Amino acid sequence: MPMVLLNCDKDIPEREKHIYLKVDGEDSRDFLPVSNAPTLPGTLSERGCAFCGAKLVIGGVLKDTIQMIHGPIGCAYDTWHTKRYPTDNGHFNMKYVWSTDMKESHIVFGGEKRLEKSCHEAFDEMPDVKRMIIYTTCPTALIGDDIKAVAKKVMEERPDVDIFTVECPGFAGVSQSKGHHVLNIGWINEKVGQLDAEITSPYTMNFIGDFNIGGDTQLLQQYWDKLGIQVIAHFTGNGTYDDLRRMHKAQLNVVNCARSSGYIANELKKQYGIPRLDIDSWGFNYMAEGIRKICAFFGIEEKGEALLAEEFAKWKPQLDWYKERLKGTKMAIWTGGPRLWHWTKSVEDDLGVQVVAMSSKFGHQEDFEKVIARGQTGTYYIDDGNELEFFEIIDLVKPDVIFTGPRVGELVKKLHIPYVNGHGYHNGPYMGFEGFVNLARDMYNAVHNPLLKLAATDIRTGIATPVKEAAE
Amino acid sequence: MGCEITTRERAGVINPMYDCQPAGAQYAGIGVKDCIPLVHGGQGCTMFVRLLFAQHFKENFDVASTSLHEDSAVFGGHQRIQDGVMTLARRYPDLRVIPVITTCSTEVIGDDIEGNINVCNKMLKEEFPGRKVHVVPVHTPSFKNSQVGGYSECMQSMFKTIATAKVAPSGKLNLFPGWVNPGDVVLLKHYLKEMGIDGTVFMDTEDFDSPMLPDKSIHTHGRTTVEDIQASTGAMASVALARYEGASTATYLNQEFEVPAHIVSTPYGIGNTDKMLQKLSEITGKPIPESLVKERGIALDALQDLAHMFFANKKVALFGHPDLVIGLAEFCMEVELEPVLLLLGDDNSKYKKDPRILAMKDKVNWDMEVVCNADLWELEKRVTDPNYKIDLIMGHSKGRYVGIYNNVPMVRVGFPTFDRAGLYRKPTMGYAGAMELGEAIANTLFNHMEYNKEKEWILNTW
Repeated sequence: MPMVLLNCDKDIPEREKHIYLKVDGEDSRDFLPVSNAPTLPGTLSERGCAFCGAKLVIGGVLKDTIQMIHGPIGCAYDTWHTKRYPTDNGHFNMKYVWSTDMKESHIVFGGEKRLEKSCHEAFDEMPDVKRMIIYTTCPTALIGDDIKAVAKKVMEERPDVDIFTVECPGFAGVSQSKGHHVLNIGWINEKVGQLDAEITSPYTMNFIGDFNIGGDTQLLQQYWDKLGIQVIAHFTGNGTYDDLRRMHKAQLNVVNCARSSGYIANELKKQYGIPRLDIDSWGFNYMAEGIRKICAFFGIEEKGEALLAEEFAKWKPQLDWYKERLKGTKMAIWTGGPRLWHWTKSVEDDLGVQVVAMSSKFGHQEDFEKVIARGQTGTYYIDDGNELEFFEIIDLVKPDVIFTGPRVGELVKKLHIPYVNGHGYHNGPYMGFEGFVNLARDMYNAVHNPLLKLAATDIRTGIATPVKEAAE
Repeated sequence: MGCEITTRERAGVINPMYDCQPAGAQYAGIGVKDCIPLVHGGQGCTMFVRLLFAQHFKENFDVASTSLHEDSAVFGGHQRIQDGVMTLARRYPDLRVIPVITTCSTEVIGDDIEGNINVCNKMLKEEFPGRKVHVVPVHTPSFKNSQVGGYSECMQSMFKTIATAKVAPSGKLNLFPGWVNPGDVVLLKHYLKEMGIDGTVFMDTEDFDSPMLPDKSIHTHGRTTVEDIQASTGAMASVALARYEGASTATYLNQEFEVPAHIVSTPYGIGNTDKMLQKLSEITGKPIPESLVKERGIALDALQDLAHMFFANKKVALFGHPDLVIGLAEFCMEVELEPVLLLLGDDNSKYKKDPRILAMKDKVNWDMEVVCNADLWELEKRVTDPNYKIDLIMGHSKGRYVGIYNNVPMVRVGFPTFDRAGLYRKPTMGYAGAMELGEAIANTLFNHMEYNKEKEWILNTW
């Protein structure tokens, strides 16, 4: 019985197709959870919308671009102050959000004029900023506002500005994943190839699918600098709008997050013949493997080995200190999708941690193929898990720590299970060698938090349910 | 000198102060026990609002979505409403209230909410004969009003659906504080108890600050029950503390069930709290007890140490919910702070005629500006204007960068305050709230003096 119908799902039996328990001798050729399928209403799914997949995840990361959200105020309010992606220019991307603040009359009579006015105002108010992305939202898509025409008009009137449009209302697709796709394809078709790049190194690449969460991009950039590799564009961590128009100038596309950004790498291959190399940036083994592959591509293996020797000398002892103490820890991962397969084997190999349950909000079939191939037996693989399912799964697998978002983290706190922010990190970055030590440190501090022992104690009886003792 | 009331002139918003209507409706919904709001719209309309609540309260709240996808946007989302309601009812056997909250998309599509609820009611009756689930239509298109109006709208809709009959007079009091923190609810309940008044706070959000218990049970939910709402029609009176968040429900109970409605000044600061307590005394005939005279005295005693030494002539910018901003401005004047900028964040045309604002207009002897339909760019522009002096910002966490990057001290108050620990637990209303706030202002100014080496030696002896 590899597909599992949980007790809480007896009234929504179709959920059985979304939950897989891997047993010995099986792989994803035998069973694969249904994914990227319509959400069941009223289940308390964790999914977000397609608009947020475009704006919050990818476009809004850019450090020099006005994010003009054409719709009522909530779509702007909600996708602001909900991410940790700093930039090296004072976090312009996190400080501001723009909205056309659509009201009823604009819904009735159309909102194009209001959008046009809002665009001009935004450029007038911040005269140093010359780049903009305009997003549609549910109501402006439904009433059919032509945001492309407005963008064209504004660009004609302001020759020094450039505007990209994303037509991806919240109801498109079944999750935020649709928004990733729309932005990827729109960008390659409309913006890549527009600008020339100043080439300063014989080795050039784009780094794709890394959003500088907790400073990831900036940490990895140290490696590329040491290796003498010029990164033409970061898609989109700490990135700029214009660098992304130069993506066609790179020799190689290195992809970390294949789910959100694999599309543009594929198109760069198809349209410009630039090869795609997928790597995992979390974990020592994976990161080393990724750096070796990149260096092999450029023929700079020695430089790569020198970098790895230096990094391992610096960080491996610290990692091993944590590994010694984290061995056997049971971890659950409830995040978007790709981190399931990025993390399950890296925490096992590098830290001796057992991943006992994983839930993906927006992963597709290939994400589940990867994670089931890399993951262990006895582990649950869940697509679009909901709250009651989480309670039941927790009861079945009893995780010591859960990597998930802050809201679910607050929920499991009541069950005396510590969480580590699997989206924005507790104290990142988590990528690279230093980053994975950070992850190990945060996991260790979570699991050995003395408060958990106190919480488990009933002062009336003095009886405590056992929790892990802090290691010396 | 004097007060000028203006409106944002730009069409677009840069850095909004409020979320949209459905967010406010969800906040009202989670205040009810055994209630899971069902938001009829895209998934982001729910997911982000749950995250927002979690950020502010450091707690999880259950809100469901109909998960509107493209096919529903084209052909209508009727089936998804029905599936959503029935799935919730089946999987959550204790569930008693489901507010169906519309959004911009489903209002544009024009889904017949009332019609679908009728269908749901029939199905519920058939499947669960002994059980009553109140399915409440809540119309909150995001392109009207804001989270402030959405809160009010959902509250009123729940009362309209649940409080349908006049019950026998109970001698109880309905108290509508508006969108406040658990700390305020605890304070108001304490006042009722001290005065010997049997009252119900709508919504009772005390447990939005909930414990980690040895038995791992979860108590993070509203305490207001279906019975509380039904009993509201037999109350001796309703007192609304927030004109724009809950007063409409008091008015509804007055119009439908002749429960006298009193709208009092929101009790921020000493004077406003005095007025509220005097009103409660007047309505119930219960005297204000010695204990509250003492609490008032302790607050005055604390604030007296701060006002003319540290606060006087300091210019303050305020932003947040309208009742909060107006109340805080009144509080500021009590402690000799000068509110120079009041930002109200939506297009409600009533703000300009609010008697409290008009009264301040007569009172101020400095330049004061009230900007309606404001965004936080209005704040940033003034803070960065060398001719516009602002010594202190008071508002919620969405304005944090304005303070941080311009080196202006900022006191977090209102909703959300996710970048400071534990504020939801503290009262802002009442005497204790005034004292907490005054001391938070003082300590924020002191920190600022110290980190900027601005006469920090003053505190060498105090």
